[in-house]
Formats: sequence, structure tokens, C-alpha cells
Amino acid sequence: MYGGGNTFEKLQGTDLQNEDPQKLAEFEARIQRGEKIEPADWMPALYRKQLVRMIEQHGHSEIIGALPEGTWITRAPGFKRKLSLMAKVQDEVGHAQLLYAAAETLGKPREQMIDDLINGKSKYSNIFNYPAFTWADACTISWLVDAGAIVNQLANSRGSYGPYCRALERICAEESFHLKYGHHAVIHLATGTPKQREMMQAALNRWWGPLMHFFGPPDKMSVHSETLMRWKVKMASNDDMRQQFLDMYVPKIWELGLTIPDPLLRKNEETGKWDYTEPDWEEFKRVINGDGPLNKERLAVRRTAEERGKWVRDAMKKVAAKEYVTPLA
Amino acid sequence: MASTFIQSLDPRVTRLQMPEDINQQPLQSEALDQLVTFQVFMQKKEGKNFEHAGIVHAPTVELALLYAKEQYSRRFTCSGMAVAETSTVMASPYTDGGISVYQLLEGEAEATTATADVYEVFHLMKRGKQHEHAGSVEANSVEDAFYKAKESLMPEKPVLNIWLIRRDDLLTVDEEDKDIWNTLPEKGYRDAAAYKAGDKLKDFKEKNEATSSH
Repeated sequence: MYGGGNTFEKLQGTDLQNEDPQKLAEFEARIQRGEKIEPADWMPALYRKQLVRMIEQHGHSEIIGALPEGTWITRAPGFKRKLSLMAKVQDEVGHAQLLYAAAETLGKPREQMIDDLINGKSKYSNIFNYPAFTWADACTISWLVDAGAIVNQLANSRGSYGPYCRALERICAEESFHLKYGHHAVIHLATGTPKQREMMQAALNRWWGPLMHFFGPPDKMSVHSETLMRWKVKMASNDDMRQQFLDMYVPKIWELGLTIPDPLLRKNEETGKWDYTEPDWEEFKRVINGDGPLNKERLAVRRTAEERGKWVRDAMKKVAAKEYVTPLA
Repeated sequence: MASTFIQSLDPRVTRLQMPEDINQQPLQSEALDQLVTFQVFMQKKEGKNFEHAGIVHAPTVELALLYAKEQYSRRFTCSGMAVAETSTVMASPYTDGGISVYQLLEGEAEATTATADVYEVFHLMKRGKQHEHAGSVEANSVEDAFYKAKESLMPEKPVLNIWLIRRDDLLTVDEEDKDIWNTLPEKGYRDAAAYKAGDKLKDFKEKNEATSSH
């Protein structure tokens, strides 16, 4: 599971002006009662739009996120690690399909989402624009990026849209293996030879910045989205999720004798929160807008798969059933 | 010599020989390569009801069943699976406020004729949950199938949504092929339980404490 740091569109004052006030009130009352919204229900256009955007981004993150880990399958140290990593990467690509399916119930065809990804119209998690130089980078992703994503996705699974929640339930059930596998692999490196420890520390140093970026800009910088919180589209603020991640994983990193490259990082006894150095948010913006170490390669790989797989799809379409309708649930 | 292809850390990616400017032009697709979707139903254990699991995209119903097996039973226990093209699913409206869809049906079931079809009936009992198989009815038409279901399958609790699918439109894994579900015990490496490193961690911490107290 790889989602995180979702970007939402800026809300306009006029967004809800054209909605039927009575239907809107019924819709909000349903969410207030804790009931799920299903595809056939009336929903504000803005709710539909933001959900498609969020679920689609999550799906893209699974697909693109499988690339840095997939890179290491052929060079995994030993058969067992290779088997585990293959199973994990297969899971991630499966998660993308579950998420695309959930988004598709809102009326956007999967192929349109894939085209939008390739054409740079829709985003994916920024963290996958960074390279996995060594096996230890792959282990860091398996453990800590997945850990971050779990924080994000457990929050989202309490959201209001039925198909997304059901997809996340399925995804979360598979996640426990990813997290345990990642931790297992990191423990082996961190408690191994001096060379392995050094490799592990170097990977952690490289990934700490992107991990701090992972949950998105601090609340004071991001668009305040009360409506999205009220509609249970966005379930927790970026800073809250970051704090939860630090709370759960900093002690686990420290107990391995690894250091975190932030001299200010400490739990503030007074506030009960973690103090840390703000990561470079200018870099975050730059990378999300296309200028990261691997943006070009990631999209090129996806595009190449799409282009070179066209003959297979064409062959399939020759025998395919024709009557496309939007999925029901 | 300067290369015109993207050079990657991953030799497999480099070997794809992707032009440096591959992303310059937008991807051109005349029409979407959109395959139809199939609704997937899964039986988690012998004796349990089939439940809706999700969808797959596929060109044909046979491939849909194959994809569904990969997607939905890769890890979870499964003892049966069925798929039906989404357009063959007949869905009732959703109800609210404790009203059952069946209460809205005003009409009588007909006498079953020789040309009747068997329909599988799926109920949604709670929002956010999945549709669950309730039973089957033999009926002359979709409308008749709703009335027949009301006669024989209506539970006491309100049903929020009903799906009807003609049995002929469902492709189900055959009884004699059920050994395809037997592979799961060999896949322990997919379970969190296979990754125990607690002892290693404990030893490491003890050793660390011993050295630091010197």
C-alpha cells in the first residue's frame, strides 16, 4: 500500500451553489449518521470529483510504487527474499486494480485514468520519484514507506465512500505481510555485518526527507478543507498523520541502533508531539511538478508498457464483449 | 557517445531503449481501450454464501474468471468463485430508513412457464457491506423474478438493494475443478507470520547494552 499526501483541488466558494439544498442536506445527514455512500446515491459534483482524484492518485501510486521495488526482484539476496518481494510487488499491482475499480464506480473509466497518468494530468505519490540505489533502499521502502501508507490508509478506510472503503479493507488485510516482511529485511541488515549496517544507514539517510514529505505539506501551508473533512473524504490532517507515523516508527528505528538524519527530532514532553526540522517543501513542490530525479523514467516505463502492450489489447478487443457499463459496487 | 535513450539504475529499464523525449508528445489514443467489467462473487468457505468481491476488467467471461482468481483469491481462503458481466446484473433501487426493497414491490408472481429461467438473487443488508447470495428462483422474466424472490427469499430484516443475475450469465468454477483452491498452504511466504525476527532483534539489543555498559 503506497498512497499518501493526497493533493486535492482548491475549493471555490461557488462549488456548492448549483447543488439542490435538500439533497445536499440529506447527503450530509447520511454521512453524519456514519452511513456509507454507494455509487447509485445522489452526491454533490464536488464530492465525486475529489473522490475520483484521490482514489485515482492512490491507484497510480500503487502502480508507480511497484517500480522501485520491482527493480530489486532480480537482484534480491537469495531465493526467499526474491519470493517475498515478488509476492509484494504482485500485491501492489493488484491493489492498483482494486483502487481503479473503486474510482471507476464514480464514472471515470480505468483507461482514462491510465492515460491521464501517462500524460501527467494526474499525480501519484511523490516519494516514488526517488531512486532505490541499493537493496537497503528497497528494504526501506518495504518497511517505512508502507508503514506511512498504512497510517494514511487506515484513516481513509473510515471514510464515507463504500467502494473505496471496501477496497481498502481488502488492501489493509494484505498489508500486514508487507510491513512484517519489510521490518524483517531491515532488521537483518541493521543487525548484520558492519557493511550491511552502513548500507542500511545510508538508505535511511536518503529516504528520511521523502518520508517526511510523504504525508504532504504542513497543515498551515495546505488548503484548509473543512468540507472534505465533513464529507469524510479527507479523514486526518497531514500533520496528524505525520505525528502518528513518527510515534509508531521512530522508536523502532532507534532500537536498531540507526540514526535519523535530523538533529532536532525528539519527542517534546510538554506538547506530547514530535519536534522536527521541516523538510524542504520547495523540493517537494518541484518534484511533484515533474522535476524530480526519476519522474521522467517512471512515466516513460508506464508509457512504454502501454504502447508496447497495445497489440495485446487490440487482440483482446477482437473477442471482447462490447456493452460497457459503469461497475455497480 | 551520448545516448538518446533513458539510462536507468535498473539495467532492465535501460534495455527498454526508451527515447529521452518519450514524454514530450501526449499519448495519442483514438478511443479508450476499455474492456467491459465483470462482477466477481466469491465463496470464502465451503457452506458459506457467495458474496460480491469486486470487479475485474476482461475481454471474455472465461478470462474474467481467471483474472478474478488471481485478484481476489491470491491470499484469502476461497472455495468457490463466479463472474457475470456487469451489464447482465439487474439492480433494484436502494431503499432507506428501514424500508425493504421487497416492500416496494406491488404485484404477484406468475405461474412458472416451461421457458422460465433460473435467476440468482443477491441481497445487500447494510450499506458499505457486500451483496450476498440469498438463493435462486425460477421465473418467466426479471420482473417475475423479483416477485418470486419476494415470495420465497424475503428475510425479516430490510433488504436495501437486490441484484438479480440469470444463472446462464454466471460463469462458476466447476465442482470437479475445486482443487485449484488447494495451493494456499504452500504460500506461507505471503503471510505476516512467516516473518518473525523478534529473537534477532532481542539478541542485538542485549549485545548492544552489554557493549555500551563496558
